[in-house]
Amino acid sequence: MAFDMTMALVRPVLKYALERNGHGAALGFTLDKLERGETHLTFPYREDLVGNPITGVVHGGTIVSLLDTACGCSAMTIQKKPSVTPTMDLRLDYMRPAQPRKPIYVEAKVYRQSSNVIFCRGVAWQDDKENPIAHCVANFMKVDSKSIQFRSIAWKKLRRLMPWRQTSVNDSEQK
Amino acid sequence: MDKQNTDELLLDWQERVGAARQERDPQSLLDMIPYAAFIGAQAKVDDQRLLYWLDKRASNIGNPSLPAIHGGVIGGFLELAAAIEIIYSLNVTDMPKVVDFSLDYLRPGRYKTIYASCKVMRQGKKLVNVSAAAWQDDEQTPIATARCHFLI
Repeated sequence: MAFDMTMALVRPVLKYALERNGHGAALGFTLDKLERGETHLTFPYREDLVGNPITGVVHGGTIVSLLDTACGCSAMTIQKKPSVTPTMDLRLDYMRPAQPRKPIYVEAKVYRQSSNVIFCRGVAWQDDKENPIAHCVANFMKVDSKSIQFRSIAWKKLRRLMPWRQTSVNDSEQK
Repeated sequence: MDKQNTDELLLDWQERVGAARQERDPQSLLDMIPYAAFIGAQAKVDDQRLLYWLDKRASNIGNPSLPAIHGGVIGGFLELAAAIEIIYSLNVTDMPKVVDFSLDYLRPGRYKTIYASCKVMRQGKKLVNVSAAAWQDDEQTPIATARCHFLI
């Protein structure tokens, strides 16, 4: 496979943006694989994300977040010029209850890309990939706007850090 | 977890569910669920129906450059709200099991409080269908709607 310069640049940026910021940092997953249109991630079990206090199983919302993140990553990277892709909808089927105190693995892949929509599916499993705990399909919008491409966002952030910029850097990203 | 311990937890849970219904205090149910505290979900009785809300917090941000709330948080919040709706308003004491969950994102979730309300569309012997909607400024312009099935 030829060397993909865009992915080589996007991969560390996306990894940093998702693992160290906002909800991704709060959940504490790790992105294991980030290729064009394919994402793998691992989520260790956490006590404070339990949804059923009787059995100790993590809440379904955690699985929604993980699959949404993984599918979103795949959708963003499949594009020639990676950019932010808003989610249109997400459907999640829970096949079996998750077991407590075991990590959850997630894989997501883009299976079709049209001119306006990116179709993506993902699975979450614990012991056996053939027996997943959840399966999801998510569709994403392709937005034709330069301002949300990764390169313009990165450029904007870089310019803010330049020493000759007089105004302070306390905009939205410091929250 | 051994069986005796589970039985005790179940009894304790059922007792709390009964107390929450009697005192019209859905928040006490959310207090039992660690995930609710993690995202910061709250609930109250607001004439005849239950109103859920999620105050803004930094750990719920999905896109830091807008900033917008993470889509997974909105999904998790609606799923949680639907489960609480079932426990509180139907005669169910066990934790309902979610079977499927379908979410439509209509508008980006801005960095401010999200409100949600749910409606039980059908209750069968085994399955319950709940629809949920989330909004920020105006109830007529929802940011997301969800539909879910629960096994009871």
